[in-house]
Amino acid sequence: MLVEFELIQKARTGDDAAFNQVVLAYRKRILGTIARLIGRPEDVEDVGQEVFLRLYYSLDQLRTPEVFEPWLYRLTVNASYDYLRKQRRRNEARMSDLSEQQVLLADAAAGGKVSIEQERQKNVKELVEALLGAIPEHDRILLTLKEVEGLSLKELEKIYSVNENALKVRLFRARQRVLNAYQAVQSKSGKQVVGSA
Amino acid sequence: MDQWNNELEQLFGQYKRLAPDPEPSSNFTPELWRKIEARQSLVVRIRRLTKVFVAAAAAICMVFALFLAVPASDNSILNGNYVDLLAETHPAENLAPLGIRTDTE
Repeated sequence: MLVEFELIQKARTGDDAAFNQVVLAYRKRILGTIARLIGRPEDVEDVGQEVFLRLYYSLDQLRTPEVFEPWLYRLTVNASYDYLRKQRRRNEARMSDLSEQQVLLADAAAGGKVSIEQERQKNVKELVEALLGAIPEHDRILLTLKEVEGLSLKELEKIYSVNENALKVRLFRARQRVLNAYQAVQSKSGKQVVGSA
Repeated sequence: MDQWNNELEQLFGQYKRLAPDPEPSSNFTPELWRKIEARQSLVVRIRRLTKVFVAAAAAICMVFALFLAVPASDNSILNGNYVDLLAETHPAENLAPLGIRTDTE
C-alpha cells in the first residue's frame, strides 16, 4: 500500500484533501500500468483521469480499505478496456494517429540518429508489443498485469473476482500463445533480441 | 521449452524497464479536479431538475384532487341512486307500449 488505511477511510467519507493525497500517491503507478496496457502515450493521462474520476464516485462503495488496491486496478483495467474498445471502433491507421514516441523514433531513424542500443531497445519494445498484440485483448491485459506489472495471483483474483485455478488456466493459455508466437518469430528471423538492457 | 520460457521472461523484464511509469504532467491533478467538478455540477443540475419535476407533479396531483373533492354546483342528476334515475327518465306509462308491465298496473 502506498498510503495509510486511515487516508483511504477519510477519502471514503468525502474528504477531498485525503482523496487528493491518494491521487498523488498512486497516479504515477496507474499511469504506468495504463501506458503498458493501451500503448498510446498521448492518451495515458486522459485514461488515468477517467480512472480517478471513477474512483472518486465509487469510493463510498468500497467495503474495506484493505481491498483498495485491487479495486483501483479493476477500475484501471475497466477504463483501459473502454478506451481500447473505442479505439477499435475508430481503428484508423493514419500518420496523424501515430503516437508522439513513434513519430519521434521515425524521425530519428530517418535522420540516422538512432544508436545501436536505442535500436535494440526499440526492437524489444516492438517485439513484446507485437507478441502481446497477437493474443486476444482480455488475455493480453491479464498477461501484462501478471508478467509486466508483476501482480500476484492473489491480487489478480481480487481484481477479476475469479478463483485462482481459473486464472491459472487463462494465464497458462495466454502465455502459451505468446510463447508460440515468440518461437515462430525467432525461428523465422533467426536473430536474438533478448540481451542485456 | 525452458529456454524459450526463460527468454520470454527476460523479454518481459526488459520491456518493463524500457517502458517505465511516465511522469504525470503538472496539469494532471488540476484537470482531474476540473472533471470532477464538471460532473458534480451535472449531477446537481439533474438533481435540481428532478426536484422541480417532482414538485410540479405534486402540484398537479393536488389540483386534480381539489377538483374532484369540490362538489359540482349542478349535480342534481347525481342525486339518488341508479334505479331512481331510471324510473325518472322512463315513466311507467311509457313502458306499456313496450309490453312491460309494472306492479302498479
